[in-house]
Amino acid sequence: LCCESYTEKQAKLGRPVSPHVTIYKFPITALTSITNRVTGVALSVGVTSIGAMSLVGADVPALMSTIGDITVIGNLAKFSVAFPLVYHYMGGIRHLMWDRMPEMLENAKVEQSSYILIGAATAVSAALAII
Amino acid sequence: GHSTRSLAGARASARARESERERRGEETMSLCTHALRKALGSGVGAWLPMAAAAAASTSGLGASAAAAAASGAGSTASLKSGLALGAFRTSASAAVPAPQYEEANKDFKIYRWDPDNGDKPRMETYTVDLNDCGPMILDVLLKIKDEQDSSLSFRRSCREGICGSCAMNIDGSNGLACLTRIDKDTETASTVAPLPHMFVVKDLVVDMANFYSQYKSVKPWLHSEGSEKVDGKEVYQSKEDRAKLDGLYECILCACCSTSCPSYWWNSDKYLGPAVLLQAYRWIIDSRDSITDERIQQLDDAFKLYRCKTIMNCAKVCPKGLNPGKAIAKIKKAHHGTLE
Repeated sequence: LCCESYTEKQAKLGRPVSPHVTIYKFPITALTSITNRVTGVALSVGVTSIGAMSLVGADVPALMSTIGDITVIGNLAKFSVAFPLVYHYMGGIRHLMWDRMPEMLENAKVEQSSYILIGAATAVSAALAII
Repeated sequence: GHSTRSLAGARASARARESERERRGEETMSLCTHALRKALGSGVGAWLPMAAAAAASTSGLGASAAAAAASGAGSTASLKSGLALGAFRTSASAAVPAPQYEEANKDFKIYRWDPDNGDKPRMETYTVDLNDCGPMILDVLLKIKDEQDSSLSFRRSCREGICGSCAMNIDGSNGLACLTRIDKDTETASTVAPLPHMFVVKDLVVDMANFYSQYKSVKPWLHSEGSEKVDGKEVYQSKEDRAKLDGLYECILCACCSTSCPSYWWNSDKYLGPAVLLQAYRWIIDSRDSITDERIQQLDDAFKLYRCKTIMNCAKVCPKGLNPGKAIAKIKKAHHGTLE
């Protein structure tokens, strides 16, 4: 039986936690960061689903071709698969660059890199969705 | 300087204000504190005439001399200030002419929570005339506390961006209230909230104990036992080595950065946060320190340093222009051999 934690003590005093996500104005770099995480989760879920479906015998390549051949919906479906993959890949490269070269971690540079990341990922994904 | 109004007129105004004050039944305030509080509320520009007024009054020259001194300085603030004696509201008695300017009213939504009653936290709206207020958010808070709601609680001290007391969330971003200019757009309301994801003591005051104990845990002082000392006392440091501390030593521990970090929101018990890690790096690259390896090793676990995901909110909000994100990246590099 030891001392109670800081959080327990504060809660016991009845203190509320100040607002965070509800009031914070997230800069573009923070938004690109959370998008990287979201696309990462989406990829994990997607790839696991494909694996699970294949395990029970579904012909996933055929299924994808059928959906992809439908006119407009097919392009949208292709975009929704391509974007998480492309964005997360490019975001990952940006992270590797930041790890190796901390000099790139300046406010103006990271903001610029965020717009480049969003633009490049959207453009490449759109191209993949159309071809 | 010479007064621009007659002493008789000044005496009459002063007397009118004094009787009005008595009518209101106000306690006599010390002249100095009154002038000081007014100065803090009205911004630096009004400081000099009011300081002169306070000095004149306390030296026993009387209200009329104070009036002469204040109006002699020629500032419009002195007309409104009512000197040291009387009313400090612009809607004064008939003896003082009404102010000849437009009101620029802006709404401020401020986070309120009272520990003494069981209510939930709420946002309360206050309207402030920006034409009768200093330029910074701290001026707004002081004016509200002074004229509208004395229960509004917030920390403040230096009013010049060096003490770090008034750190809070203004219009969605963390910053120092004394250095954050009011957005002059009177159509939109501004929001003022405490530093995010901290336990609230009252209104805008948050508990900083965890933050301070994390700072203590990185041993933020020089360990020079193993360093080469000139005459047994001083460790010499080259200009180049001293230059490495620039951008690190200036931290005022205001906690704007740590409380802007989502990673610190979710793990403030185990992740040290950008402010503390910047200071850890400050001691790691100090050439005079002899326990560098130990400092680096102390941070090598899953939480203390590595909860940083390079979100970079920290560098964006630092009121001193420092870059904790970059310092953290450099500590991470030190863990695989390259300390720069």
